[in-house]
Amino acid sequence: MTLRADHVAGGAAIAAALAVLAVSGDLPFGTLAFPGAGMMPKLICALMILFGAILLVRGGASTPFSDVGWSDLPHAIRVLAITAAAVALYTTLGFIVTMSLMLFALIALEGRNLVAAALYSVGISLLTYGLFTVVLKSPLEQGILGF
Amino acid sequence: METLDSLMLGFSVALRPDVLWYGFLGCLVGTLVGVLPGIGPLSGISILLPVTFGLDATKAIVMLAGIYYGSQYGGSTTSILMRIPGEASSVMTCIDGYAMARKGRAGAALCIAAVGSWIAGTFGVVVLTAIAPPLAAFALRFGPPEYTALLVLGLIFLAYMSSTSLPRTLLMAAIGLLLGTIGIDNLTGHFRYSFDIAELGDGIGIVPVAVGLFGLGEILSTPSATVVGEVMAPKLRELLPNREEWRQSAWPIARGSVLGFLIGLTPGSAHIISSFLSYAVERKLSRHPEEFGKGAVAGVAGPESANNSASTGAFVPMLALGLPTGPVTAVLMAALIVHGVQPGPQLVNEHPDVFWGFVASMYVGNVLLLLLNLPLVGLFVNVLRIPYSYLYPLVIMFCVIGVYTVNNSIVDVWIMLIMGVLGYLLRKLGLDPAPLVLGLVISPTFELSLRQSLIMSNGYWTIFFTRPIALSLFVIAAVLLLLSLLALIRRRADWRTKLAQAETGEAAQ
Repeated sequence: MTLRADHVAGGAAIAAALAVLAVSGDLPFGTLAFPGAGMMPKLICALMILFGAILLVRGGASTPFSDVGWSDLPHAIRVLAITAAAVALYTTLGFIVTMSLMLFALIALEGRNLVAAALYSVGISLLTYGLFTVVLKSPLEQGILGF
Repeated sequence: METLDSLMLGFSVALRPDVLWYGFLGCLVGTLVGVLPGIGPLSGISILLPVTFGLDATKAIVMLAGIYYGSQYGGSTTSILMRIPGEASSVMTCIDGYAMARKGRAGAALCIAAVGSWIAGTFGVVVLTAIAPPLAAFALRFGPPEYTALLVLGLIFLAYMSSTSLPRTLLMAAIGLLLGTIGIDNLTGHFRYSFDIAELGDGIGIVPVAVGLFGLGEILSTPSATVVGEVMAPKLRELLPNREEWRQSAWPIARGSVLGFLIGLTPGSAHIISSFLSYAVERKLSRHPEEFGKGAVAGVAGPESANNSASTGAFVPMLALGLPTGPVTAVLMAALIVHGVQPGPQLVNEHPDVFWGFVASMYVGNVLLLLLNLPLVGLFVNVLRIPYSYLYPLVIMFCVIGVYTVNNSIVDVWIMLIMGVLGYLLRKLGLDPAPLVLGLVISPTFELSLRQSLIMSNGYWTIFFTRPIALSLFVIAAVLLLLSLLALIRRRADWRTKLAQAETGEAAQ
């Protein structure tokens, strides 16, 4: 049997619903007449299992999973890793430092000129900081360095 | 007469210099958002939402709505000149718009797209002016059972209209509904799935989910090497279509306007669906269907008019019923709520300046967009000369700022990152994230109105079948569900399957 996109989607949905049900133990279901806090999520999980099962059973017409292109995966991982690092540092280092570093890293990894990338990154960060703080009166994170 | 008086009140608000300025700013940013591939109206609105916190509700909604319908205008520019849809609803314009450009008629195609958008946008606002207030008055009869029925109908309609399969759409909506249950249960005070993270107590916001799924997800799946930057800039004197082109575009614009508005009223990605349907209708009605794909004027005029009219139509349920029909209207609703204005039946009476000011601003905005888009097309095209490798990091930065500034919460930014990964994976599996966002938005209202209904009836579910409006809505939902199930069981190619095939075929061309 060929593994298809709908099989993967259906399987993932069922697994996610079962995981949610597993952590829902302490939520009271109540009764159908007087639902508790757990009724809605548990009913939705049941629906997810139902729709996931339909996808598993009827997934034969969808794209074979091996045909799904993953050529953009290295780009996605790079962008995600750099952005995650920036998010982790954001409240500590503040907007200007974090965003300058993030922009520089993302552009440098694209193979662009490093000096141009550095100037662009710092310039854009300062400009945005000024725009939000001075013009839009919507202060951005300052961090431990005070800017 | 009363409507005209109210509209005059609206114009007195919309034409105030400060409101006009924010409307212009929204239209300008919207056009840029539409022009730039990788940023859709949803990301644009979400990113700029925190910027509106310092404004009053009228200016905020006028500016954010300007971004929405401005992006529909701007999306056609890249479609026609570069064969890159700046916005998902402009995919169909790529086919014949770019073919016209290759024949040296780029200016005419841009002009027809802009004029068609203007006519359709204005038509949409005229109908909205006429039907939103009576619809809101009717909706005052709605109680929790009617709202429950309406939300169920909305979800079923979304699944029925979807050109992908029923279980896929409902699965996405169910995931959204589940995410919407995170946080404190309003009726019992139980914490649900918050895992001792205080920020999750208030639930998951629309903005991090929408920006993650649509903004970041798009960037993750678009490596810079795949973005080609060949730009064909038309000269100003080449912008006017000839008499034959005007003649060929007249009926498609009229049909696109009506079709788009009607689809705009329904839940789902109406502005996208309407452009695909309009293209299919025009090709079906054409005496020369073989010209489609080779530069048919109707292939530009119809879809461009339809997507603009649909984006206006989507405001009707939002303003009159307080119901979002898609992720964009959901974020706009969130913007109004942030400013202390609750969209819905009471909006016309409680905040006439906001309601009518907003409606009148759309008349003004459509004129502004026409004036902006034609003479300044060369300027907008120059934005596309910025290399993508410099552009996408900038978009990521604005995604982070946009999400963080809403609640000053870094947890929201982490949620955005997780949603970005989910959006990337959903694209790989061919699943549409729009129903997920819609599910997330309606989840709290749905659960609350369902449980309030049961409290009202002392636990009897018959309350949904003893109230005429709720019963009618449930009957319509049941009919739609049966129709969808029949197609599913018979595995027969109905109009939605054919539309999906057309979408894939045309996009691949």
